[in-house]
Amino acid sequence: MKVNAPLTRRRALTVLAAAAGLPLAGVSRTAARAPELEWRGEALGGPARIVIRHPDRHRVQRIVEHCVGEIDRLEAVFSLYRPHSELTQLNAEGRLAAPSHDLRLVMAEARRFGALSGSAFDVTVQPLWQLYSRHFARHPADREGPAQRRVARAAGLADYRNIDCDNGRIALSRRGMAVTLNGIAQGYITDRIADLLRDAGMTGVLVDLGEIRALDAPGDAPWRIGIEDPRDRSRMIGTLPLQGAALATSGGYGMPFDPDGRFHHLFDPATGRSAGQCLSASAVAPYAMTADALATALAVAGPGRSHGLLTAFGGSHARLTLRDGTVVEDTL
Amino acid sequence: MAQPQRRRTNRLRAPRLRGIAAVIFAAAVAAAGILGLSSVSTAETGTGQIEPPVLDRVFPGATHFGTMEGAPPALRAYRDREVIGYVFRSHAVVRSVGLSGKTLDIAVGMDLGGVITGAEILEHHEPILAIGVSSEDLAAFASKFKGLDARDPVRVMRRAPKHGNALDAVGGATISSLLMADAIFQSAIAVGQSRGILEAGLSGIDLTGFEEAGWDALVADGSLQELHLTLADAVRPLDDRGARLYPHGAGPDDPGVRFIDLVAGLATPARIGRNLLGARSFNRLAGALAPGDHLIFAAANGLYSFKGTAYVKTGRFERIQITQDTKTFQLTRNDHMRVDRLRADGAPEFREMALFVLRHDRGFDAARPWRLELMVQGESDAGPVLAVHPLSYALPDRYLAAVAPATGPSQDLWRGVWLDRLPDVIVLFAMLLILGAIFFLQDLVARRRTLYKALRYGFLVVTLFWLGWYTAAQLTVLNVLTFAGALRTEFRWDFFLLEPLIFILWSFTAVALLFGGRGAFCGWLCPFGALQELLNRIARAVKVPQVRLPFTLHERLWPIKYIAFLGLFAVSLGAIDIAYKGAEIEPFKTAIVMRFAREWPFLLYVGALLGAGLIVERAFCRYLCPLGAALAIPARIRMFEWLKRRWHCGRQCSICATKCPVQAIHPNGTINPNECIYCLNCQTLYFDDETCPPLIERRKRREMRSDTVAGEAAHNGG
Repeated sequence: MKVNAPLTRRRALTVLAAAAGLPLAGVSRTAARAPELEWRGEALGGPARIVIRHPDRHRVQRIVEHCVGEIDRLEAVFSLYRPHSELTQLNAEGRLAAPSHDLRLVMAEARRFGALSGSAFDVTVQPLWQLYSRHFARHPADREGPAQRRVARAAGLADYRNIDCDNGRIALSRRGMAVTLNGIAQGYITDRIADLLRDAGMTGVLVDLGEIRALDAPGDAPWRIGIEDPRDRSRMIGTLPLQGAALATSGGYGMPFDPDGRFHHLFDPATGRSAGQCLSASAVAPYAMTADALATALAVAGPGRSHGLLTAFGGSHARLTLRDGTVVEDTL
Repeated sequence: MAQPQRRRTNRLRAPRLRGIAAVIFAAAVAAAGILGLSSVSTAETGTGQIEPPVLDRVFPGATHFGTMEGAPPALRAYRDREVIGYVFRSHAVVRSVGLSGKTLDIAVGMDLGGVITGAEILEHHEPILAIGVSSEDLAAFASKFKGLDARDPVRVMRRAPKHGNALDAVGGATISSLLMADAIFQSAIAVGQSRGILEAGLSGIDLTGFEEAGWDALVADGSLQELHLTLADAVRPLDDRGARLYPHGAGPDDPGVRFIDLVAGLATPARIGRNLLGARSFNRLAGALAPGDHLIFAAANGLYSFKGTAYVKTGRFERIQITQDTKTFQLTRNDHMRVDRLRADGAPEFREMALFVLRHDRGFDAARPWRLELMVQGESDAGPVLAVHPLSYALPDRYLAAVAPATGPSQDLWRGVWLDRLPDVIVLFAMLLILGAIFFLQDLVARRRTLYKALRYGFLVVTLFWLGWYTAAQLTVLNVLTFAGALRTEFRWDFFLLEPLIFILWSFTAVALLFGGRGAFCGWLCPFGALQELLNRIARAVKVPQVRLPFTLHERLWPIKYIAFLGLFAVSLGAIDIAYKGAEIEPFKTAIVMRFAREWPFLLYVGALLGAGLIVERAFCRYLCPLGAALAIPARIRMFEWLKRRWHCGRQCSICATKCPVQAIHPNGTINPNECIYCLNCQTLYFDDETCPPLIERRKRREMRSDTVAGEAAHNGG
């Protein structure tokens, strides 16, 4: 495989972690009856892979081709980088008369997660992202960030409750509002691909499109996924076992605007500033979409609310790395 | 028939001659080997990936590339995180082959607008040395495709007009150029259609085949496919997310109750649609469809309605959508047709049924799998929760008409070529008509020496200047080798039809071969033969002395050309590339196709042959020409002997044997059809009562008789 893709930072977190963790997974599953087949490609602008334990290589190849087509289809719905994606149209026009099932489902979930997290997770922070990204493109070494006045205005636009997605259409009820689904769409796509594989009769599957979802038969040994140290990304700070569930990791260090990493994409919609308590947060939940949103919410809300968030989202495990390097774990 | 005494003398000389022949053959083989070693190999091994430098050249402006994947295989080109196009290998997509019938592989880049961003040859086995073109010429030609629109394939022509969507073919490599263009556009179209860049063409689906089939049969063979959801199945994904399908206490209690039994299928094929709807309804519906439109049938029983009620107000079916590959199809009231009753035997009663039309411009490909996705909405405390349940459908193989995967040149490629070259084709037909007339009326022509000469030299001049130097339609032994190769691998008329003049010439030659031997081609239609003969005539006119080889030596030199041909043929079985180089023993390319515009060793070789031809007429044809040998072998089955002989020939007289330009007449008077070029020279002598001794004798007797009768003393000098 020849990928000249520059690893986008956000993507690098989990992928590198998983890459380091997976050999362990292979070792830990000594009772493997079928060979592990691995597809590597790219999805959503970053490297992606699917590991499938299955004896029939051709069958796997066919189903993976379906998966690749499905990823492509969903990118055309959710991408902020494609000029004609449904999301781009929604942001540009403020409404979408005929959204796909996929966008409706994800927007509904986004609202639900917003409510469950008490606004720690909010997909309408896109105006903040646009503000910061423009600001730091002009002043890369600035230590202050954008003016408070502008931050307040952009933060004022952020409120998931202003997304109207009843009656099969979607509308953003305030002018200037914009949505990013980067904290949830990857999880959704991961789940869709996992569903496709499950419906095709595959078990013993690990789908890694940035967020990770494992499909397992009962009794399979868990996959062991490495978690990267947010301060030194060549190191692992440990592994998490994963069985029939999903794992997502969010960290401000993944996409910093400034060299110090004080400003990054994980915004607290209440303040309009980047969340400061956590360096990274990992979450385990039954679905990748849930884990994805939960990890983001944890990273924004901090360790004090981790237990409540886990309960509300139906997650099973949280692991937070704080600014001082302390690791806080919470299991339900 | 060989005569006994001659045979004796021959036996004495034979070993030495065989030695000479062996030396010449060995030299030829060695030359072929050296040429083979120095050949340019542009082939790049490996099948899947494309090297990064090539990617950068065929898709400039991309920041990075993905991996080869999908069907047909292609890799994505990105600018930052945005997909801006695709890069693919023509051979991997359409199994493109070149003139040689072997892999022609071109890396092609195409942006999302269907515009080709670059093309570069990865592998080819074109006999380019044989046609005097370098690999660089082909590479330069490939680069011309940058910026062209895959929706509007250019025409490649020998002499492209200034205006219009056409490209000049590489001089001397018209077919290779055509096949390259075809490979690039066919693969671009295939990738474009599969990736939704270009509108999909009609897929090869058997829409008309019909046989009675009941409901159960249609379900059993996969023509209709089902999704069964119990209440528990529907509740589970909602429950996982803290949502309820029904408000507390409102829903049914039994989790095993049927939530929905959904059945769906493609209704466009008659075997499905007509059986479901009955002939009359189906024919009315199908008649209203444009080519490429498709009907999707859906029907359901159970608690849940797949249509819902919102469509009455909003015009949209919010509970179902169809997805296929990278496309999502929303269904609206305009796409919807009510179905009142089913005609299929054993069809159950359904709570609701529908037909949806997917118009051809939406890019639905009925031959590929699709999903009908059913959406179910629940309510949680934090808002609505949605769940999607897909019904996967793949059209059973029985409906996929046996469409061969697109391989090789497209079907209508050759028609365009024939249209382009229509004027040339007409002139050639006229030539062949005249030639046919000459053969059928050969006695009439041979009796009139002036007419014969005018026809003969006129024809040769046209053969040389128009057929040879203008149209470059020179048959060569390469055609024979290619043909034989095609017979052994995959024979396709299309390939041979791509060169209209060559095709016509070969057809004519084949028929003439059956009728009279190789002579019709060698003596009349071979431009190099014409060149030799015309030059020799000039040489004779300026009194260049002619050498006549003793017949025995002459006869022992004949086998060289057979050895040359058999050698080439043998080599072509294993390494056609080397055979192509070995075929340089033919001077045709240098003298005719390239009109002497070549490096000096080739010119020297042609000069030597033409020089020899000045003193030994058609020296090349007689002893070396592998094409002549290739024609002479099958010509042994010829059917007619139209060349007239007298019993005197060879016994009392050997004038025509000595006058035969290629010494094809044995001293015993028989004409050797393997060598005869059918120039009809011997026939003019046959009818010439000034030359042919039996005729002279007869004429003299007649004159004497008439002298006696007239009583005049007339005396013609003896």
